[in-house]
Amino acid sequence: MGKKQKLAEIHQALNCDPVDIETLRRAAVSKGGLLTDEIRRKVWPKLLNINVFDLPPKPGKDVRENHRDHNQVLLDVRRSMKRFPKGKQLIDIILDVLKCHPQLHYYQGYHDVAVTLLLVVGERMALALLDKLSNFHLRDFMDPTMDSTKHILNYLMPILEQVDTELHDFMIRAEVGTIFALSWLITWYGHVLSEFKYTLRLYDFFLASHPLMPIYLAAAIVLHREKEVKTTECDMAMVHHLLSRIPQDLPYELLIAQAQELFDHYPPSVLAKKAALQSRKSLSISTFQAFQLSTLHQRPDSVLQRLTKNPAPSSSNMALLPREPSSLWGQGNRVVKMAVWGLSATLGAAVFAVAQTAMEWGPEVLLQLF
Amino acid sequence: MAGIGSSLEFSGSLTSSSLPPPRTRIFKIIVIGDSGVGKTCLTYRFCAGKFPEKTEATIGVDFRERLVDIDGEKIKIQLWDTAGQERFRKSMVQHYYRNVHAIVFVYDVTNAASFRSLPAWIEECQQHALGSEVPRILVGNKCDLRDSLQVSTDTAQQFADSHSMPLFETSAKSPGGPEEGTHRDSDHVEAIFMTVAHKLKSQKPLILSQPPAESRGPTVNLSRARDEGGRGWSCSSC
Repeated sequence: MGKKQKLAEIHQALNCDPVDIETLRRAAVSKGGLLTDEIRRKVWPKLLNINVFDLPPKPGKDVRENHRDHNQVLLDVRRSMKRFPKGKQLIDIILDVLKCHPQLHYYQGYHDVAVTLLLVVGERMALALLDKLSNFHLRDFMDPTMDSTKHILNYLMPILEQVDTELHDFMIRAEVGTIFALSWLITWYGHVLSEFKYTLRLYDFFLASHPLMPIYLAAAIVLHREKEVKTTECDMAMVHHLLSRIPQDLPYELLIAQAQELFDHYPPSVLAKKAALQSRKSLSISTFQAFQLSTLHQRPDSVLQRLTKNPAPSSSNMALLPREPSSLWGQGNRVVKMAVWGLSATLGAAVFAVAQTAMEWGPEVLLQLF
Repeated sequence: MAGIGSSLEFSGSLTSSSLPPPRTRIFKIIVIGDSGVGKTCLTYRFCAGKFPEKTEATIGVDFRERLVDIDGEKIKIQLWDTAGQERFRKSMVQHYYRNVHAIVFVYDVTNAASFRSLPAWIEECQQHALGSEVPRILVGNKCDLRDSLQVSTDTAQQFADSHSMPLFETSAKSPGGPEEGTHRDSDHVEAIFMTVAHKLKSQKPLILSQPPAESRGPTVNLSRARDEGGRGWSCSSC
């Protein structure tokens, strides 16, 4: 499919009512991803079921006062200033999300995710996206401890075992562990890729996928480097060293396709039967189905905009631009909320069934869906 | 001391069944301390020979190594640079405490809190069965920032004495002193890690060849007292 055709499909999918979320997901995963930042600004919010006409307000000044993670956030953001000069906005959106959800804990690397969103969609929409991601895809990483994160990492070796036993055994013998993939997982590779365009491409993929997808991509990368791994010394340090340094010229499109294939062949439910994976429940995984269902019945932007009392000043494009003030959070808010409630109701029994299982693990998370 | 010899062998024992080639010995040194004290800069400085242009937060553990020549023997020094944030060390980093030959504790002389965290880091090591038999050194980093000094040498020295560690004060940024353009010969970060390597090679108690300048313990203020320490610290490196 050519680029032009893909663009047309994406626009068509965005204008359907409800939005054709399946097509948008496919576009985000398939070759080239979402192509441009302009499209990302439109599609990313849909993938996460966010109404861009009802964005949260900019964080107030008080957001930076007295948060337990304040110093750590400051330190990490300051050190990443070379990549992103607007550190203040970055600190603000991170602290705003953390303040709104006391159950979420900051981790080093969270700022890499936040900065990626901020660079593409601007402050207020980044805040909305980060809020949603933190409560779903990244939720496990934000526990008080990293035990859940470790649990997610534990999915890596069983995938390798299915595909290449020899490689798997080699890595077990080397006792390399899985920490080499830690920063890949918790930053969605934002921390390790020097080319921002590749980071964006991967974010397209992950935003449209299951929360475990970064692990499947990690598996695809390790498998891709199978020969290098097997010919290195069978030693923890050597293998860790080799794998943790991600080559900057990886064939990302190929690896994305392979990760997707691995996911289809060995879905999390199959891997979970492995002994090491049974002991723990993951919030990100258990709430994912409900999350995905909730994205199904979104109105297109044209409709959402009409539904608000105070239409944005110019075109819908303008309202999507970062830093474009929109006062909808106040007055128009209620109308939108009503509309969203109405939509949610149409999801009906299906969601309810899924919700019941997920409720066990994260009631506060589920409430945000509806 | 028995632990060191056997664990050193471990790194080469897996593949050596018949007529092993002469192996390079590996010294594994773990570098720990609070977030932002400069662990990455120190290890990078030693392995790459320069101050890194930018360092960002270390997530999990990073690994650097360098081959050095000590008394005619090629030795590989492996530095394990760890994340400072508490949540990482609690459940992630412990895997990397295994078979460690030496520990470098780092604090930031301009950040009193990073100094106050040291007992917790020492405790952490003890929990991982790294007792006092494993050589440990204390490094106060960033001493080029004299105007914002928060931890005095005296305080740090007392602490180091009470834990039987030698104390080094240095700056990964300008280890040879405030004037720029340092060469490896006059590089004190170099000297710190080489001291550890010598200690590990000799497996004798760490005795500094530099006579203690004026104080009680073996304080070596590498930035300020480098002329006095010249001879003893010049290590042959490759």
